[in-house]
Amino acid sequence: MHIRKDLSPGKQSLLTTGSFLIPLFLWTIVSYAPFIWHPDIKLQVSADRSGVTTVFTAGDRVSKEFFPTFSEAIRVENQAIMEAREQNKPIIGSRRDNLKKLRHLAPLAVANGWLEVKEQQNDEKLYGVWKGLAEGSLKSTEVELTEENIEVIRSNWRLLSAYAPTYDSKRYPTEAMLKLIPQGVSSNPVYLPAPHEVIQAGWRDFTTKPDNDMPTMWERYRHSLTIIFWGFTYSCLLGIPLAILCGSLDFFSKLHEPFIDFFRYMPAPTFSVLFVAFLGTSDAPKIMLVFVGTFFQLVLVIANTTRLLEKSLLEAAQTLGANRRQLLKRVIVPGILPNLYNDLRILLGWSWTWLVIAELIGEKTGLTGFIDTQGTRYNFDRVFPVIILIGFTGFFTDRFFHGLRDLLFPWTEEAQTGAKGPITRFILRMSNHSSYADRTKA
Amino acid sequence: MSSPFELPSYLEQSTAVADRFRKLHNRPIKLQVHQLSKEFHSPKGKVNALRELNFQIHRREFITVIGPSGCGKTTLIRILAGLDFPSSGQVMLDGKSMKGPSAERGMVFQDYTLFPWLSVKKNVMFGLEVKGMGKMKAESEAMEWLEIVGLSKFAEVYPSQLSGGMKQRVAIARSLANRPEILFLDEPFGALDAQTRASMQDYLLKIWRNVDVTIFFVTHDLDEAVYLSDRIIVLKANPGEIDELIEVPVPRPRSPEQFLSPEFLATKKRLEDLIRPADSNSNETVPMIRLTEIGDEVE
Ligand SMILES: Nc1ncnc2c1ncn2[C@@H]1O[C@H](COP(=O)(O)OP(=O)(O)OP(=O)(O)O)[C@@H](O)[C@H]1O
Ligand SMILES: [Mg+2]
Repeated sequence: MHIRKDLSPGKQSLLTTGSFLIPLFLWTIVSYAPFIWHPDIKLQVSADRSGVTTVFTAGDRVSKEFFPTFSEAIRVENQAIMEAREQNKPIIGSRRDNLKKLRHLAPLAVANGWLEVKEQQNDEKLYGVWKGLAEGSLKSTEVELTEENIEVIRSNWRLLSAYAPTYDSKRYPTEAMLKLIPQGVSSNPVYLPAPHEVIQAGWRDFTTKPDNDMPTMWERYRHSLTIIFWGFTYSCLLGIPLAILCGSLDFFSKLHEPFIDFFRYMPAPTFSVLFVAFLGTSDAPKIMLVFVGTFFQLVLVIANTTRLLEKSLLEAAQTLGANRRQLLKRVIVPGILPNLYNDLRILLGWSWTWLVIAELIGEKTGLTGFIDTQGTRYNFDRVFPVIILIGFTGFFTDRFFHGLRDLLFPWTEEAQTGAKGPITRFILRMSNHSSYADRTKA
Repeated sequence: MSSPFELPSYLEQSTAVADRFRKLHNRPIKLQVHQLSKEFHSPKGKVNALRELNFQIHRREFITVIGPSGCGKTTLIRILAGLDFPSSGQVMLDGKSMKGPSAERGMVFQDYTLFPWLSVKKNVMFGLEVKGMGKMKAESEAMEWLEIVGLSKFAEVYPSQLSGGMKQRVAIARSLANRPEILFLDEPFGALDAQTRASMQDYLLKIWRNVDVTIFFVTHDLDEAVYLSDRIIVLKANPGEIDELIEVPVPRPRSPEQFLSPEFLATKKRLEDLIRPADSNSNETVPMIRLTEIGDEVE
C-alpha cells in the first residue's frame, strides 16, 4: 500500500464494489443466522391475556424473555377452563369473547393462503377454516400450527359444531372456549427487517398503485426531487452572485457576512411554522425551508472559496489592463469555478437533509411523508427501500457531477492526472469528446 | 583571498560603451523614483523595507536590481508596477505620478501566474481582449508572440501541461503582447535550470532589441545581472537602500563568450564585494560537528 498513491482503476472498482458488499453481507448474516442476534419472537398466533391491557397481535414482536411468560399465562387460563368443564361447572363467558378467540386464527389463515388479506374480518370464511383444521382437511403449507394448538382447535370445534356445524352469525356458544397458545418464530427487532423482506416490500410499494388516491411512490419521488431542485436552484441563483461579491469586495463581505454568519446558527426548521403561516400549506414553505437551509451556508462557503483564489492571478490581470468588471468576469469567476462546483456538490448533499424536514412541515408529502407514515406503523420493511433510494439518488447524482467535473474543467490537475472514473469514461464515450483526448495527448 | 588575475576597474568604459551611455542618458526619462520609502507594520514592529530610494530609468533601458534576500526587491518592483503603494516618496511615469496597475506596465512574476483555465494562446490573448481588440486580431497577434517565444506548437495546451521554462516564456509573451512601455520582471528565471535559464536570457535580450520596451529586472544571480543589464542597482538590506548604481562596461550586443571578458569579471567582482562585504568573507571557520566516523584515512 502506497500512501497517497492512486490505485489502478481495476483495483479501485473492486474496492468500490467491496465497500458496498461488506455492509450488505453483514446485514444478511445478522438477518438469517438465528444464533447471532434474533432477540425477539415474531408472533404468528397471538392471544389476549385476561385482565391485562397490553395487546399483542400477530406480526408483533415480543422479547425472548417475555414470550414464555406470555404463553404460560394463556395455558394457565386454558387449564382453568378445562378443569371447570371436567367438574361439570363450565365457565360461561360471552359470545363476543368466543368470537375474538376464533379471530386470532385469522392472520395465520392469511399467511397460509386460506383467507385473502381482505377476508380477515370475514367470520363465515374463518368458521370454515376452523372446521377444516379440526377435521384435518386443511394442511398448513407456510406456517405450521403447533400440536398444542391443533388440540385447542379440535377441542373448540367440538363445542362449536355442537351448536352450529355450519356458520350462523347468531349461533355461538356462550361456554368459554380455549385460547390459542401464542406461537412465533425467532426474529430480529422490528427495526431491522431482513433483506428479502425489504426487497419484497419495496417491490410491492414501487409497483402497485396505492388505493384512496394517495400518490404512487414514483410520484412521491418526483415531488421530493422537485422540492430539492427549486430550493437549491433559488439558493444558487441568489447565493452565488452574492457570495462572489462578498469574496471579492471587502465592502460586501463586511456588509453581509456577519449577519449571514449569525443567521446560519438559527436552525432553519425553527422557521417552518413561520413559512407555513405566510406561504400556506403548499410546496412553497417546503421549498423555502430547503432554500433557507442551504442559502446561508452556500454564501459563506463560496465567499470563502472566492477569497482563496490566488491573489497573484488578480494582480497579473491588473497589470494586463483588466478593470474591476473584467477581473470579476474573466478572472474570479472562471478561476473559482471548479472549486465552486465542488462546493455545490457538497451543498446539494446537505439539501437532502433539509428536504427531509421540509416534507414533514404542513402537509406531509413526498418520500419523507411515506417514511413518516410507515415508520409510525412500524412498517420498517417499507421504510428501508425509501431510505436506500434517497441514498442512491444522492450517491449517483454526486458521482455523476463528479464525473462531469473533469469534462467541464479539463484544465484542472485532477482532470489531467487522475484516473478517469467509470462515469467520466461513460460520458466521454457518449459525447465522443475527441478534442479532449487530443488535448491530453499534446 | 586576492584574485590571481589583474582585472581592470569596473569603472573603465571603452569608448563605444561610454558613447552608448551618453546616448542613453539623453533619452527621455521613463520612470523617476524620488525619495521612495516603504514600511511594513507587522505585529513584531515596523519593518523598513525600503528607505529613500532615488533613481531614474531612461526609455529602452535595461535596468536590474540585485541584492541579498529580503532587501526589498519584490517590494520595490511591486510599487513600481502599481501593485503596492509607497509609504512616502513618489514614482513618476513619464513625468506624471501614477495610480494603480495598468496595461502600460507589464509584470512577469516569479511564480509564473498564468491563468490555468485558459489555453496558452488564450493567456496571451487576455490583455488584448481586455483592451477591446477583436478576437480574430487578438488571436493572430497572440500567435505571432508565441512564434517569437518558440511556443506556437503549444497554443492549445493548458499551462499545467508546460514545463517551468515554457510557462515563463508564455508569461513573457503575454506581457509583451500587450506592448507595455515598461516590463517588470521579478526573478523570472529563478526556478529554472542553468541551460533553460541561459536560453531564456538570450530570448529576453533578443526580444528587447526588437521591441521598444524598457525593462526593469530583478534577480539575485550576479552573472545574469551583468549579462543582461545596462545599469545595475545594488540594494542592501535593513533598511533597503541603494548601495551603488553600476554602469555595466560590457559592450553590446552581448554573447555568452563575454562571461569571461575582463569587463564582465570586473563588474561581477564588484557586485560580489558589495553583496558579501569583505569582513564576512574572510576565513571564517564554520562550526561543524562530525556526525559519523568514517575512519578510512581519506580526507
Ligand atoms: N506584506 C508584508 N508585510 C510585512 N513585511 C513584509 C511584507 N512584504 C515584505 N515584507 C518585508 O519586507 C522586506 C523585503 O521583502 P521583499 O519580499 O521585498 O524582499 P526580496 O528582496 O524580494 O527578497 P527575496 O530575494 O527573498 O525575494 C522583508 O524583510 C520582508 O519581511
Ligand atoms: Mg522577492
